Parts: sequence; structure tokens; C-alpha cells
Amino acid sequence: MWVYEKKLLYPVKVDTCNPKLARYLMEQYGGADGELAAALRYMNQRYTVPDKVIGVLNDIATEEFSHLEMIATMIYKLTKDATPEQLVEAGLGAHFVNHGHDLFYENAGNVPFTATYIQAKGDPIADLYEDIAAEEKARATYQWIIDVSDDTSLNDSLRFLRERENVHSLRFRESVEILKEERDRKKFF
Amino acid sequence: MNPAFEEERALMLQLQEADFVVVELTLYTDTHPDDQDALDQWREAIKRASKIRHQYESRYGPLSLASIPTEQAIEAGWRWNQTPWPWQR
Repeated sequence: MWVYEKKLLYPVKVDTCNPKLARYLMEQYGGADGELAAALRYMNQRYTVPDKVIGVLNDIATEEFSHLEMIATMIYKLTKDATPEQLVEAGLGAHFVNHGHDLFYENAGNVPFTATYIQAKGDPIADLYEDIAAEEKARATYQWIIDVSDDTSLNDSLRFLRERENVHSLRFRESVEILKEERDRKKFF
Repeated sequence: MNPAFEEERALMLQLQEADFVVVELTLYTDTHPDDQDALDQWREAIKRASKIRHQYESRYGPLSLASIPTEQAIEAGWRWNQTPWPWQR
């Protein structure tokens, strides 16, 4: 089970109301390589992987949910004071008509989240390679968002998240090596 | 800014830092289970985070319902269902 902690993993501050930036951040909220996809993917894989890599999937999945909360906080803060006109101008007119000021699990192009973004292949090596790719794609997305953002406070939090994707990718690479080593050992004895 | 508010923010930041060290070392030890030095650091990090959490929670109230609310926090008006929630800070 999980216990809620009334704090963020890392502080989130924004300089100004900026619905356009919020729209870009939706890619990391409900997009194919976003935090929701990551959290659900790892959480689901952990049941059937070899024991040695359960911990890394369980713990990274848990951290991804805290990233999801950070992204949600960013989107909320960037849009809460926006007028309908400002939302339309930022390309969030369709979002506003359907959801008002609510958040929604969709990507930057207003496409709703779908489970088809993630896989469960029944093959730990194949799944872990997908996980590594997911982390690298999320890292790249963070970089592109930082490149188009001029919100200094927000960029600090985004750089933290970008760095976490690197660390997760590294831990998944090590997990692949752990599994390969185990597989080779079984061949010899 | 209100100095009491600022004190709370500073302690919260300290806790976020201490908790993050635990998150990071947990992931590291997941894939390096035989790294004795990392395991020692991990145990120390948990101790340190727990100490700061206790300090924060005794003053400002529990951050999760795994902690017992202190009389000090209750008297100061702490309730679980009270603002600010993390996204309102």
C-alpha cells in the first residue's frame, strides 16, 4: 500500500501565469513518455520480474508518482489564474471547453492518455529495454521543454526531473546486467 | 514574508533534501546490494531524515498519518485536512 505524504519530492515554484508552458508540460503528464506512463509501466512489471530487480521497479514507480505530482503542481500553478481568453491564446481552448480549469491526463496536443503507450511483454530483458528507452525519451522531452521555457524558477524543478531520468536509466541498465549475469550463471551450472 | 512562515519553509526544504538522499541511496542499493559503504550511508541517511521529520512534525504537525500528532501541533490548530496542500504552497 501507499501512505500519502503532504509534501513534494522537490519544491515547485513558478514565476508567472503561463498557460502555454502548462500546455507543453502536459506532454509529461499524460503523454506517451510522461510520468503517468512511466509509473504505470513499472508498477505493472514488478509482479513478474525476477526477484533481484523487483526493488528497482517498485521504487522507481513510486518515485514516478511523486514526479507526476510535481508536474501536476506546475500545470496547476501555471494555469490557475489564466482567463479563458489566455487559455485559448495558449492553445488550451479545446481543453478549457472540455475540462474548465481541471487538469486532465492528455498530452501537449490534447490527445487523452491511453494504456497503449506502455507494454508488458512477459520478457524482463525486453521490458527493461523499454524502460531505459522511456527514461531517455522523458529526459529528451524535459530538455526540449527547458529550451522553450523562460521561467527561471520552473526550470530549476525541470532540471531536477531531467537529472532523475538519467539516474533511472542508469539503474535500469544495471538491472539488465544483473539479469544477464544471472542467466549466464544458470547456463554454466 | 512572515518569519514563522519562512522558518517552516526552511525546515521543509531541509526535510525534502534529507528524504531525497534516502530515495537516491535506496535506488542505488537496489542494484548494488553488496556495496557495504553505500548500505552504511543509506542507514545514516534514513536516521538523519527521520530526525528532521520528527523535528518538523512536532512543530508543524504530521506530514503523513504514520506519525502521531503532537499536543503542540494540535493546540496550534493542526488538522490533516487543512491547507496548504503541496500544490498550494
